[in-house]
Amino acid sequence: MTLNSMIETDFPEEFVEEMGKSQNVLPKRIDANPKNVEKGLAKLVLTLIELIRKLLEKQAMRRVEAGSLSDEQIENVGETLMKLESKMEELKQIFGLKDEELNLNLGPLGDLM
Amino acid sequence: MKLYTYGIIDSSSQINKPIYGLEGAGVYNIPYCDIGAVVSEFTEPRQSKTESSVLAHEEVIERLMEHFTVLPVRFHTIFNGRDGVISMMQSYYKDFRNNIDRLRNKVEFGIKVIWPSGKIKEHIINTCDKKVSIPDDSSNKRFIREKFEKYRIDEEFEKKANKYINVMDIFFSKYAAEKKLKKLKTENLLLDAVYLVEKDKQNDFRQAFEHIKSGRPDFKYLFSGPWPSYNFVILSKKNDLLKDSEQKDLFNKVIQLQDLVGADKI
Amino acid sequence: MHNVAIKSKDVTLLEILDRVLEKGVVISGDAVISVADVDLIYLGLKVLLSSVETMEKLRGSPFISPMQEAN
Repeated sequence: MTLNSMIETDFPEEFVEEMGKSQNVLPKRIDANPKNVEKGLAKLVLTLIELIRKLLEKQAMRRVEAGSLSDEQIENVGETLMKLESKMEELKQIFGLKDEELNLNLGPLGDLM
Repeated sequence: MKLYTYGIIDSSSQINKPIYGLEGAGVYNIPYCDIGAVVSEFTEPRQSKTESSVLAHEEVIERLMEHFTVLPVRFHTIFNGRDGVISMMQSYYKDFRNNIDRLRNKVEFGIKVIWPSGKIKEHIINTCDKKVSIPDDSSNKRFIREKFEKYRIDEEFEKKANKYINVMDIFFSKYAAEKKLKKLKTENLLLDAVYLVEKDKQNDFRQAFEHIKSGRPDFKYLFSGPWPSYNFVILSKKNDLLKDSEQKDLFNKVIQLQDLVGADKI
Repeated sequence: MHNVAIKSKDVTLLEILDRVLEKGVVISGDAVISVADVDLIYLGLKVLLSSVETMEKLRGSPFISPMQEAN
């Protein structure tokens, strides 16, 4: 390799590992193999549902922080969030998907949020 | 005659020095007005998307960078013939011209930073003396309480990340014309940034990096460059083939999902 | 299959691949007969250039996690 560009780091493997973790979860191309279509779709759908669930959770936390929830409301929100979370676990298990696989890397959009 | 395209340069002259690209083919310039497309003849063998052809591609661009302003073209962009290349330059001319003028005499540097996220979180937990005023007299409330504690830690974590990134960015930005930052791509990858730097400010930029590095020796750093401006080319034409196909993929997936769930319309 | 094991200096390759495959000018038009449809896939500490042929070969490999399988 006779490239002029320098890449300097004392920790090449750590950087490779992190870059691997941050790769996009949503595949770029259609996988027409029927075995994988279902799984690919499940991943897509669950990723989006997980995103919504996380947003709802964050919103709830903001309200708790602001102290704008009554005792009863905290109770209800707690129950709902718990049910949502356990439902997601169920779905993840059914489709054999792990947390890392559903992490939607929003890229530049992530900064907007 | 298939033509493999490496980049667009700000010159309509022939390339004086011998540069070799994929398949060892000699590289030459196809001019249009005051710009040109640098290509080589290509037979497109079956196994052409290999590591060595990626490196050959990059090497051509770096050789070009020594003498021209280069707009690097995506790997494996192949044209049907000389006319195709020329008509492409005709339709993209304004875009190319604008980018060349903007990017002339500038190079790109990449900086990545890993921080010890575990230690940072530990520190936050230890120094956070917040009283969580949520009653825990039911399992639902305890759930909220736990979530809230985690939420507070995450918020502090993000705040700290932004603080460190801002300090670094202030230093780097002094010598940069443009930049793109990705914060906390993973918990450990604090920063993934690219900076567009004028050629005569390269050394200053490098010094700024060394300064930052010495300031926090417990972080891990990656410095790369100088690159041609891969990350800073902006095309206004809605001709981005890959984006179109990504959209098509998503659209097709939705259609498939419709069929799968038996929905009439999503 | 084009498989690049990450040795200590090979983070260089990663940086190059990230730019050459993912960045730069994307041109479309009638005369374009090919644009890279090469994905950069990270497989643990290994970096792969994946085209459709590669994915065919990889399916069924014990080293592929379900995530890559769904790709």
